[in-house]
Amino acid sequence: MNAQIIGQMAVSGALMGLVYALIAYGFQLTFATSKSINFGQGELVMISAFFSLTLTNLGFPYWAMVPGGLLFGALMGLVVERAGVRLALEQKSEGWILLSIIIGLFFFSAAENIWGRDDRPFPTPISADPIHILGVDVTRLELSVAVGVFAIMGLIELFKRRTLLGKAFEAVSADRDAAELMGISSTRTVMLSYGLSGSVAALAGILVSPITTVGPTMASALILKAFSVAVVAGLDSGFGVVLVGMFLGALESLASFYLGSGWREAPGLILLILALALRPNGVFGKATIRKV
Amino acid sequence: MFRQTLCGLLLVAASGAQAADTVKIALTGPFSGGSAPMGTSARDGSKLAIAEINAAGGIQVGAKKMKIEIIERDDEAKNERGALIAQELAAMSDLSGVIGTVNTGVCLAGDKHLQEKGITKIICPAAGSASMTQWANKPDKPGVRDNSIFRFAAYDGIQAAMVVEEAINRKFTKVAVVFDSTNYGVSGRDDMLEQIKKQGNKLTVVAQEKFNIGDKDMTAQLLRAKSAGAEAILIWAIGPELAAVSNGEAKIGMKAPLIGGWTLSMSNYIDNAGKNGNGTLMPQTFIEEAITPKAKSFIDGYHKAYKVDRIPSAVAAAQGYDALYILAAAVKQAGSTDTKKIKEALEDLKEPVKGVIATWSHPYTKWDPADVTTHEAFRREQVVMGMVKDGRVVFGNDADRARLIKSATTVTPAKTSKTKKK
Repeated sequence: MNAQIIGQMAVSGALMGLVYALIAYGFQLTFATSKSINFGQGELVMISAFFSLTLTNLGFPYWAMVPGGLLFGALMGLVVERAGVRLALEQKSEGWILLSIIIGLFFFSAAENIWGRDDRPFPTPISADPIHILGVDVTRLELSVAVGVFAIMGLIELFKRRTLLGKAFEAVSADRDAAELMGISSTRTVMLSYGLSGSVAALAGILVSPITTVGPTMASALILKAFSVAVVAGLDSGFGVVLVGMFLGALESLASFYLGSGWREAPGLILLILALALRPNGVFGKATIRKV
Repeated sequence: MFRQTLCGLLLVAASGAQAADTVKIALTGPFSGGSAPMGTSARDGSKLAIAEINAAGGIQVGAKKMKIEIIERDDEAKNERGALIAQELAAMSDLSGVIGTVNTGVCLAGDKHLQEKGITKIICPAAGSASMTQWANKPDKPGVRDNSIFRFAAYDGIQAAMVVEEAINRKFTKVAVVFDSTNYGVSGRDDMLEQIKKQGNKLTVVAQEKFNIGDKDMTAQLLRAKSAGAEAILIWAIGPELAAVSNGEAKIGMKAPLIGGWTLSMSNYIDNAGKNGNGTLMPQTFIEEAITPKAKSFIDGYHKAYKVDRIPSAVAAAQGYDALYILAAAVKQAGSTDTKKIKEALEDLKEPVKGVIATWSHPYTKWDPADVTTHEAFRREQVVMGMVKDGRVVFGNDADRARLIKSATTVTPAKTSKTKKK
């Protein structure tokens, strides 16, 4: 029974952890090209989830709603890039930090006014009935999270390695100035990264909403965890965020079982402090030399 | 300086003139956020009653009929908002009364401002015990001598007793007590534990689990309850988290039914839990089923006025409706819009008030700091067990249903429990 409980807690935690990993992956995409992060990423998750809910309520089937939601997420990502990030980057200032927070707040207020402040259920054709695998109960919904996360991350990684546009993306990530000299527009590449990052946020929203419900504050808890994951894993390791995300999720749920639910967040935060103290570039990160 | 005084005088004169032709009643509560189904239903129930009264020309106050004017404030279920609103209301010189508040914490933060000024308030539908016991005698300090705060809700004491009784009646022996970390949840847990002791320790509490507002994953708490062998979950929390508990049970294949506070009838519990909510039991003061003509006209009226086919919280709506009629009866009896006179009338209502939940004869008596039930309208017999079934709340026990139909068709004598001296 005991081993079974540990297994159950670890598996459900790890599956939730994949959502943190997906949001953290969104941070990585924009950080790679522009060394900037959208601090309003949580609001992108939330507003895309609301948009997808509206599509569903309008009668769109699931397979049409998902691309619709992703497209909306990408558009919102572009809005953030154009309104908040580009100007700051052009001036080589750190203004994007504040601007992206402000745009996030704007999305939050917009969502409150358009959709209201209540948490709402998110209908999905995927069943929430548990399946019994090796003594552990997993719902199809939770499995769909895993499938979705791996699918989009795999696709984006393939895109980066196999297509010309993707190679441009990698080139800008590696050395922006050199890429510019080779005729690659870094502005467009940054736009692309923000668009992709927005889609990733939207998918995270679509995947997690059936489990957690949709509401304006739905992402506030998620986003903190995603930050921890991104920092612990390092901002340039896609593989790292998956591992750290699953680890953190499992750790959280085991902590809430053994230490009491009030201690749920504690191990994650301790992990964050340790990582910042011992490996500031992340467990899987590469040390970067910053020329001054 | 002179100009200011003049302006002040003009303002006073203007407001005086206004006060002369309307009865100002404030409706407060959370109209947004997780508690909103209760807040908006209570408000809309009261508004329905106000519309009926105003359509009939208003309340007879002394020689003339006066219409009711509504002052509406959204406290967002936040304690600090509640305190601000209470201060604002306490500063109004011509306010006749306040009806509202869903959250016990908001009562604790705000009601002292109203009580200081002696403004009559009927708490509806906040059920947490603390909102009335804060005025009562405590071991270390005496309660207030005079109290302008009344309550119109099945307070947690009654509800906890019913929850424990129901678990015993359904032959459960091992239960888990689960609650949220708010004032409401913690005081609910205390009430339930006390009731388990009072009712002969027939239930063994095998686990005590808590969670925070906003928690979505209850797997840890439920697994602990499951491995301890809990057959039922006695629970005190608010809609969205309650739904997370029901959904979490389905996920780990746990079958223990939820029995708990009336918040289990909130639409945001029922909708978010879906079919996992079936079989959940909770005390209710009103079930949205047209079993009597009065209930039918109320339900139809609500559906029509607010264009819904299910009241978000039928209990809160019915209580808001009845509370407004009781306050209106007090205004009529006082023959004045003065809140202090209305308070005195409330403590000694001569005429029975026909409401949708019951006919209220003498619901309140003179405040006694040793006995909070002097300002509590509800007694055990006005409360029934409700059960969630396919997205609606129905009667949990057929006996309750039959009893209510019978009491509505026969003339009830003055309530026995009220005649008993405190």
